[in-house]
Amino acid sequence: MSIIEVINLKKTFTSLEVLKGISFSLNEGEVLSIIGPSGSGKSTLLRCITNLERVESGTIIIGGDTLVETSREGKVLYADKETTSRIGQRLGLVFQNFNLFPHFSVLRNITEAPRHLFKYSKEEATELALSLLEKMGLADKAGAYPYQLSGGQQQRVSIARALALHPQVLCFDEPTSALDPELTGEILAVIKELANEQMTMVVVTTRWLSPATSLIG
Amino acid sequence: MGKLLLLMLEGTFTSLKIFFLTLLFSLPLGLIVAKGRMSKFRVVSSIVNGYIMIMRGTPLILQLIFVYFAPYYIFGASTDRFTAVIIAFVINYAAYFAEIYRGGIQSIPQGQIEASKVLGLSKFHTFTHIVMPQVVKTILPSMGNEVITLVKDTALAQTIGVAELFRVAQNAAARQFSTTPIFIAGLFYFIMNGVVSKSFDLIEKRLDYYK
Amino acid sequence: MKKLLTVAILAFLTVTLLVAGGTKESKGDQSLEKVVSKGVFVMGLDDSFPPMGYRDENNEIVGFDIDLAKEVTRRMGVTLKVQPIDWNAKEQELNTGNIDCIWNGFTITAERRKVINFSDPYVDNAQVAVVRNKTSYKTLADLAGKSIGLQAGSSAADAVANNTAFASSVKEVIEVKDNLTALMDLEIGGVEAVVLDLFVAIDNITRSGKDFRILDEHLAPEEYGVGFRKGDQALRDEVQKQLNAMAQDGTLAKISTIWFGEDITVVGK
Repeated sequence: MSIIEVINLKKTFTSLEVLKGISFSLNEGEVLSIIGPSGSGKSTLLRCITNLERVESGTIIIGGDTLVETSREGKVLYADKETTSRIGQRLGLVFQNFNLFPHFSVLRNITEAPRHLFKYSKEEATELALSLLEKMGLADKAGAYPYQLSGGQQQRVSIARALALHPQVLCFDEPTSALDPELTGEILAVIKELANEQMTMVVVTTRWLSPATSLIG
Repeated sequence: MGKLLLLMLEGTFTSLKIFFLTLLFSLPLGLIVAKGRMSKFRVVSSIVNGYIMIMRGTPLILQLIFVYFAPYYIFGASTDRFTAVIIAFVINYAAYFAEIYRGGIQSIPQGQIEASKVLGLSKFHTFTHIVMPQVVKTILPSMGNEVITLVKDTALAQTIGVAELFRVAQNAAARQFSTTPIFIAGLFYFIMNGVVSKSFDLIEKRLDYYK
Repeated sequence: MKKLLTVAILAFLTVTLLVAGGTKESKGDQSLEKVVSKGVFVMGLDDSFPPMGYRDENNEIVGFDIDLAKEVTRRMGVTLKVQPIDWNAKEQELNTGNIDCIWNGFTITAERRKVINFSDPYVDNAQVAVVRNKTSYKTLADLAGKSIGLQAGSSAADAVANNTAFASSVKEVIEVKDNLTALMDLEIGGVEAVVLDLFVAIDNITRSGKDFRILDEHLAPEEYGVGFRKGDQALRDEVQKQLNAMAQDGTLAKISTIWFGEDITVVGK
């Protein structure tokens, strides 16, 4: 069964048509790599799926729930608030610029959402966060603040932050573009490990060779 | 001399009352005004913008006179003069604070809000836990300036007959034919503002834990 | 902290005393010569004090006192410079030499006499209470327990303070920046009475057409004089000489009639 179903998705910015009728479906355990030059609309596609951007027309179904559909008359219908937030919980997003919360410690960056959404106790959330940090090789950075970390470390924290909500699909929006070339390897290793664990993922990238090939390999 | 100081402390108490009551009401009101100014609804944002322009475009002393006297000519009822002072100061300072808040809120990168959204945090939670703490750190220096100005602006309350520190000092000066009370008042304002800047320094230090 | 405060206040006092001491250290009284050699006589006034001195429609400062001063300086052979000042800072203006005299319905009081060298009185005045016409107040005693307003730093303030029986009977004394604000406050019911100069009260009521009246009972009889620095005896005497001359040749009466419709001056009477 497909987790993500996208049908005839269209999106235009002012007069520039970015997405001209995209359709695809993604099954559980699959990794979808979208590779293309910048400005080709890959990020926009990801932002439409994660509901950061409104579509112009088309249908997006995630985990069996319809996020948006377009009627025959061309009317775009978005799901109600409740469904939207349920769909949102199925998706995790890792940003190009990490977007960690600078005023929170690494630990709180990860625990904030589970505590607020799942009503986890402080202990439960901390335990979860520490295990994720361990997995990311950052167990000793729990008390640090984002500005004290390297770009690669920050990106790993943001992956842990996304994983803390147990998403069914993890989306990466150019996860290595903001990093120095020598730091991209550590992020790719994480993505690879997640792929081995059968994590369903969508990875958007401009770099033709490195992430895509290493994933396939 | 002792009696003079006692009188001036009384005046200082009035000045401090104006100062704290103004902050108490104008800080939250300013936030509401800032939200209104940034509203997607054109009607709301233009009305709020008009309010801010009037408050910032006319002298506070005029607003004081207006708030105190206008209700009588319009409604035939008048307000208590101290209440009028507080209302005038609050609506004036809320406008200035609103613009500072707005600048601070707009300086928070969109990515912060998007990250919060995809993590499923509510709009309210995002505003109170993600946006505002960062805004506070950004706007602290301009807030400090504004609050120091407020300490000095309290001297305008005498316009409508509220005897604050400077009024008391001027009366004493006229009574004694001496400038000494005025200088002492200056010293009092200086000390009050010393406390204000010290407090802002402390808050800035406390928020220094992140960049 | 308390110690620091005391030290700082003492420092201010020392500075103030030094400044004050410095100005007194003059060699003889050269006040008249100074004015004559400069060719300018500077009168300090509150330019919102009709009809003694105020700004007309053309923003020119006019008034009874201005006309008197113009005639005096014409006779002295010097130019008159009219300098508006903050009435609250009038003593500082005079002491620091920014102005040569205070001439603006300036009430002679025993307290002021200690630090100011007054001319002989030239007009009789009184401090009166103005109330809204429709109220029932008849005497000062009727104002017991009420709020009264007045201009801060004015002689009305002194008159009320000196009349302890009256001052302690009223609820509170509200001091505002000028008489106009006090009278507006009276109109809106912020205060029940305003204490001010008789002439100012008459002038204000007739010109504004507001529904006010003056209580028959006066607070204090008063006299207006011209105020000079303590040491400036020669200048004071010269101005007095000219005023006396103007009283004798009828000029004072003439100017008074223009402003008040009658001769209210008391020089040489």
